[in-house]
Amino acid sequence: MASGAAVLESDHLISRLDRWLLKLEQVLALLSGIAVFSLMVLAVVSVGGRNAFNAPLPGYVDWIEQAMPLIAFMGIAYVQRDGTHIRMDIVISRLKGRALWLFELISVLLILILMMALVYGSWSHFLRSFDFAAPLWSRDSSIDIGLPIWPAKLLAPVAFGVLCLRLMVQAWGYGRAFVLGLDAPVAVPMIQSAAAQAAAEAEQLADPKAEQE
Amino acid sequence: GEVAATEWNVSVWGKRRAFTEHVEKLAELVSEKTGGEFTMNISYGGLSKNKENLDGISIGAFEMAQFCAGYHRDKNPTITVLELPFLGVNTLAEEVAVSHAVYAHPAVQKDLARWNAKLLMTSPMPQYNIVGTGEPRDELAEFKDMRVRATGGIGKAFSAVGAVPTSVTATEAYNAMESGVVDTVAFAQHAHLAFGTINRAEWWTANLNPGTVNCPVVVNTDAYDALSDSERDALDSSVSEAIDHYLANYGALLDKWDGVLAEKNVTKVELAESELDAFRTVAADPIREAWIADMTAQGIPAQELYDLVMKTLSDVRAGN
Amino acid sequence: MEPIDIGLWVTGGLLAMVLLGMRVAFAAAMAGLVGLVWIFWAKFGYAPDKFTKALTVSVKIAGQVPHSKVSSQALSLIPTFILIGYLAYYAGLTKALFEAAKRWIAWLPGGLAVSTVFATAGFAAVSGASVATSAVFARIAIPEMLKIGYNKQFAAGVVAAGGTLASLIPPSAILVIYAIIVEQDVGKLLLAGFIPGAFSAVIYALLIVGIAVVFKSVGPPVRGFTWKQRFAALPAALPIVFVVVIIICFVYNPFGGDAWGTPTEGGALGAFVVFVMALIKGMKWAQLKSALLDTAKLTVMIFTIIWGVLIYVRFLGFADLPGAFSDWITSIDASPMLILVCILLAYAVLGMFMDAIGMLLLTLPVVYPAVMALNGGEAVSAADSAFGMSGTMCAIWFGILVVKMAEFCLITPPIGLNCFVVAGVRDDLTVQDVFKGVTPFFLADGVTIALLVAFPGIVLFLPSLAG
Ligand code: NA
Ligand code: NA
Repeated sequence: MASGAAVLESDHLISRLDRWLLKLEQVLALLSGIAVFSLMVLAVVSVGGRNAFNAPLPGYVDWIEQAMPLIAFMGIAYVQRDGTHIRMDIVISRLKGRALWLFELISVLLILILMMALVYGSWSHFLRSFDFAAPLWSRDSSIDIGLPIWPAKLLAPVAFGVLCLRLMVQAWGYGRAFVLGLDAPVAVPMIQSAAAQAAAEAEQLADPKAEQE
Repeated sequence: GEVAATEWNVSVWGKRRAFTEHVEKLAELVSEKTGGEFTMNISYGGLSKNKENLDGISIGAFEMAQFCAGYHRDKNPTITVLELPFLGVNTLAEEVAVSHAVYAHPAVQKDLARWNAKLLMTSPMPQYNIVGTGEPRDELAEFKDMRVRATGGIGKAFSAVGAVPTSVTATEAYNAMESGVVDTVAFAQHAHLAFGTINRAEWWTANLNPGTVNCPVVVNTDAYDALSDSERDALDSSVSEAIDHYLANYGALLDKWDGVLAEKNVTKVELAESELDAFRTVAADPIREAWIADMTAQGIPAQELYDLVMKTLSDVRAGN
Repeated sequence: MEPIDIGLWVTGGLLAMVLLGMRVAFAAAMAGLVGLVWIFWAKFGYAPDKFTKALTVSVKIAGQVPHSKVSSQALSLIPTFILIGYLAYYAGLTKALFEAAKRWIAWLPGGLAVSTVFATAGFAAVSGASVATSAVFARIAIPEMLKIGYNKQFAAGVVAAGGTLASLIPPSAILVIYAIIVEQDVGKLLLAGFIPGAFSAVIYALLIVGIAVVFKSVGPPVRGFTWKQRFAALPAALPIVFVVVIIICFVYNPFGGDAWGTPTEGGALGAFVVFVMALIKGMKWAQLKSALLDTAKLTVMIFTIIWGVLIYVRFLGFADLPGAFSDWITSIDASPMLILVCILLAYAVLGMFMDAIGMLLLTLPVVYPAVMALNGGEAVSAADSAFGMSGTMCAIWFGILVVKMAEFCLITPPIGLNCFVVAGVRDDLTVQDVFKGVTPFFLADGVTIALLVAFPGIVLFLPSLAG
């Protein structure tokens, strides 16, 4: 269920901001995807090394644990951009016009407050593992081969920071739609009925050129 | 206003086992001595992940916690002196003595003060020994190319004799052994029982004693300072009783251990003293020297800490 | 106010936020954060000057959770399983499977529908996501069924129901999530999914054959494939066999001797096999890139729910709500089996409105300890237990039951995602059509669940072999 809703575009400043941010988000999400791919390669190397040369990858578990935040966090703003983070829209899909934009605005503002708090919380988690005076700046290391953990911990506030930017764009988008009473605002995911959303999703998955026979 | 009762949250992990008995006993004693005014709520994993118990103490999320130094060497470099291979600690009582001597050292207290933590007591662990499948390995030469689940200093010791330390989490250790990812697993006895590795074992080294991990119990300094005098007395005076309870309980487990070996038909492997000496020469000295050099470079009185361990050990033995 | 009361209030607030359409991941994290602040402030006696301190401590506790919970080796199975599914698609495995199933079993009454069920079961062995499976087969299988005169609604129902098999038959992202929440062995859970998944497929097939025999018009058999044609269809479907063999052998070696590695390694090697197949099929960088982006998107979505919900769970830990709930459940004066059935029925109702992953993540931290307590605790032996199985086995059994319930909810109205997807793919089908067509399969799922409850051996046979 990886596909979200359409985001409309225009020449308006907010839409330009939206697309500029999208470029950054796509790079980060691709980074996430490449990290998944390297996970696969890592396992092949580890199993191969163990069976062929009796030389398992040293610190295999440590490396996986380091890669996981890269996979789990980097795409978070990209997913928020088109509304893929799941929700129950049984109530909200019945709303229209200003009422809908107001609901969306409140929801986005709440998430923004939450994420700003988590940027602070995850940043302080990072700081506890970081020490300029220590070798490799490390004050927290992995169990097996002692890798510094601060780079992985730093990924959380960075990804959450980008998400905060995205939420600000969306708050502006919904706020504008609410004030101006717009029908089809830019820079925010347009709510679709569950059925339309599923159709878009199936469309994306069942791309005929991909099914090669 | 009214005098509020003091309730501490304590973060440990896993299930209640020999390894947490002193914490349970401490809670019981403190509550008894204060007539229920000072109680402890022990949570097994609900408050934090084990590797982040020091973070939780530093934040003030809970007042007391247990952790192992080897989980995160950079968080607590000074305590890792107790995890050096082949320190020569033979009994749980000796382990308690050296741990508490090290905990009392100002450099160690300063190290832990970075986490707003005060060291309260240790969780003495017997020496790690390996269980394995196949032919028993009772000579150093047979350790070559052996895939062993061992982390930290013990892992380094094994790689010094040509074994291949393999990273597997404790919970995956059984699977790893079953699947041949590793040939052997190094654990303390209670962990061989808890993680089921004993069920795959055909042999167990009784006297390899390469080292162990050190797992202190700490309290949040502010919470400790905020205790009333009578509460603090109740806490401080209960530590040695709690440790005694732990030792008695673990001792019973060790007594049972031989029965477990017999029941599961596990061979008890004794390495010859010459083999052990050879192992120590290759593994103990270089690793200790590297550790001392590393730590000294970070401004830690490493040699002093190591000497303290050795001195305490000989004092304890002289006292016996 | 006692921590448990705070726990209940915050949980109520969470449900309200979810109902009003806040993204589940963030609603859960928000509830957790607010709950933590409440608990700490209460601990400080609600002193006005202590509020900032309560807030800071809570934000720092919540801020640990994302990194702390996400850096886990076991969770790395989720992205690899998702990647396998997307790559399998580019490797052309879906069409190959349907073709093979058609040539081999379409001679049965309702044969094309039975073929569809078995092809979806086969695809389930490389796909971790149910909805994706339904979407793909709606394109391939429905047109062929309509061509030979199948009832339109029935054809749609077959595909929607068949898709649900993907989460039971490994690889399955949702089984991994269950294993992580309840801290059980991932490998054994994956292994446990095989037989119930295949069993569900067989029950579906029996139902279809029965319907086709009674109502001749529903689905005529397809005959006339030669043995040569049949065997010719097999090679293209071979990667599935590889993946199944690899995943099984990395958990438990049925040929005797040691397993080949850990489940984490098995998942990654399975993905590698499918990746090589996709390369052979001519996958280019553009397609790989979109597979990676889609994988990242779905992975991030799932992980955001995971850490969001775990912030809420961390709060529950401070409020000790799971303990209180399981005390309450075990104090109820009714047979444990009756209580278990009530819990499963509650899942059926909840699942009508909620997404499967969100539902499991939100409920399991409270419900799982209660079920374990009902059976007699984590360490109980089979002889002393209420359900006649050890604690570990009970955890596996309940996991499969709950996942089957969650899958059932993918085809029940009003929110049955698989049905929406099928209707979305086909312009000539409305959602109502698909819901109508899928109704007979409620019966099949009901029978399956009842049998899994009554005969736990179906679930526990394979994992107990693995020791
Ligand atoms: Na599957
Ligand atoms: Na439903």
